[in-house]
Amino acid sequence: MSRSPGFFSPAGQLVAICALALLFFSAFPFVWMGSTAFKDSREIFATPPSLWPNSFTLAHVQRLFSETKFLTYFRNSLTVSLSAVAVTLLLSTPAAYSLTRLRFRGREQIAATVLFAYMFAPIMIIIPFYVVMRYLGLSNTHVGLVIAYTAFCLPFSLWMLRSFLQSIPIEIEEAALTDGATRFQAVIYVVLPLAIPGVVATGILTFILAWNDYIFARILLSRDELKTLPVGIADLYNASVVDWGMIMAAGLLVIAPVLGVFVFIQRYMVAGWGAGGVKG
Amino acid sequence: MADRGRTIEAPSTRAARAESGTWRLPEPVTGVLLLLPALLLLLLLTLYPVLYGAWISLFNKHSFFPEQSFVGVANYAAILSDVEFWASVRRGAVYSLTTIALQIVLGVGAAVLLNERFPGTNILRAIVIFPYVVPTVVAVIVWKWLLDSQFGLVNYVLQSTGVADHPISWMGRDWIMTSLILVSVWQFFPFVMIGVLARLQTIPLELYEAATVDGASALQRFWHVTLPQLKSVLFVIVLLRSIWMFTKFDTPWLMIQGGGAETYIRTLPVYTYLRTFAYYEAGLGSAMAVAMFMMLAAATAVYFRLWRRDESL
Repeated sequence: MSRSPGFFSPAGQLVAICALALLFFSAFPFVWMGSTAFKDSREIFATPPSLWPNSFTLAHVQRLFSETKFLTYFRNSLTVSLSAVAVTLLLSTPAAYSLTRLRFRGREQIAATVLFAYMFAPIMIIIPFYVVMRYLGLSNTHVGLVIAYTAFCLPFSLWMLRSFLQSIPIEIEEAALTDGATRFQAVIYVVLPLAIPGVVATGILTFILAWNDYIFARILLSRDELKTLPVGIADLYNASVVDWGMIMAAGLLVIAPVLGVFVFIQRYMVAGWGAGGVKG
Repeated sequence: MADRGRTIEAPSTRAARAESGTWRLPEPVTGVLLLLPALLLLLLLTLYPVLYGAWISLFNKHSFFPEQSFVGVANYAAILSDVEFWASVRRGAVYSLTTIALQIVLGVGAAVLLNERFPGTNILRAIVIFPYVVPTVVAVIVWKWLLDSQFGLVNYVLQSTGVADHPISWMGRDWIMTSLILVSVWQFFPFVMIGVLARLQTIPLELYEAATVDGASALQRFWHVTLPQLKSVLFVIVLLRSIWMFTKFDTPWLMIQGGGAETYIRTLPVYTYLRTFAYYEAGLGSAMAVAMFMMLAAATAVYFRLWRRDESL
């Protein structure tokens, strides 16, 4: 609807009020998290509560770094998530190309079956999954977690990349062949550069899924020094006395990388919805 | 589509010669080879676990030790007569149906709003989507802090405005389901919003213009023009959200942590997890996972049937 109601019309005011309410609902919890993270401990529990910290302090962040293994968890999360992105893209880009451009019997059926795998929630397969991982000697390793995330992210990344590749005109590839390129060269120098936005978007969504995962990390890892952030933070919260300042500081630092990549992808999310680019 | 999938013929002899060096395999072989690593991983880590899970549901199996003994359908008989199992199914149904209804209302509302043109729509859209991409653990801890019975901001506001005369125990037995639903809706309605907005942006403006010319009010336009166009996308959204909410583990599980009212939000996925990783009954846990799958499959079949009947009207 492109009608643009004037701000002072009743319709315009209704729109403005709804927009503000929506903004408040979605954003306020984050504002409050930031506010709590930088207040000193006395002010956190003060009545009446203050929205803007009167006492700006970095004590909670310092305590998080010195008294907990936050930095280890952060490094683990970063290693595992980036590895998962790399492995997922390495496996799914050629596979998506195959499902788009190469002709063989059963191609469409395979693509449809892959989409079906997208329907299985982790909880439904986690028990046998855990048994398989233990059998392979991959429980309590980051390699096992990377493999788990890759398997979990493959269905949507295949579908997303496929829809991107389908949007690249085949004539461009044919032109490269006419100019004497090999098929391999045509893919590397012509198709891939055009597919880069799709590959990046797929990679970012894979990163977010891996970065946010709780259940696989909870079940596959029991050694503290291997834990990733979601599990590490959940355990911080389970400590006998909840240190709200420190927990909120941890929350802020966990969402910082997500916010960083999200800025690039959020526009795409609405356009790419149909390609199965969202899950959870 | 047929055109997109067609084979590329090497158009010149030079290309053909160059090709013979690196692209000698027949196309179907190359196609399968490129697909194989991804497919093998999916087979090993999705299909095999599904089948293996169904298999171990027939055993009395410890979660960590290798001993197991075949018990046939005893695990299924056990869960069917387990009161807590049915209670968890009921809680899961309440949780998923309520959250889905609220997500749809809020998601469609937000999408219609963000489809209007006013300054700041792009930023607002990004902010609304953001809760959907943060880790569940962050969503849960920030709401636990807001809803803290002693120091939480929500109770402070409710009491100072006179809405409540005593602090509400949001994590207590009477309110924990409400709190869980609130957190889940906050976290997941953006999914509905994204899908509906994507669809709204493709509805031809002429439809609205025609309706306006015919004298339809804004509400009538929404009811008679917008909603019918949203039908197919809502079909997919309700399907996906039902599957994901009914199998949602991390949000209820993390809400339970550190609270005393855990049994009041022990949904089926949480109970399955507990059976497996707290009571170490992998066989029983697998039987519950299979039961979860069957219930979803049955619900999906009914859903598709209802939809088809509705379509034929």
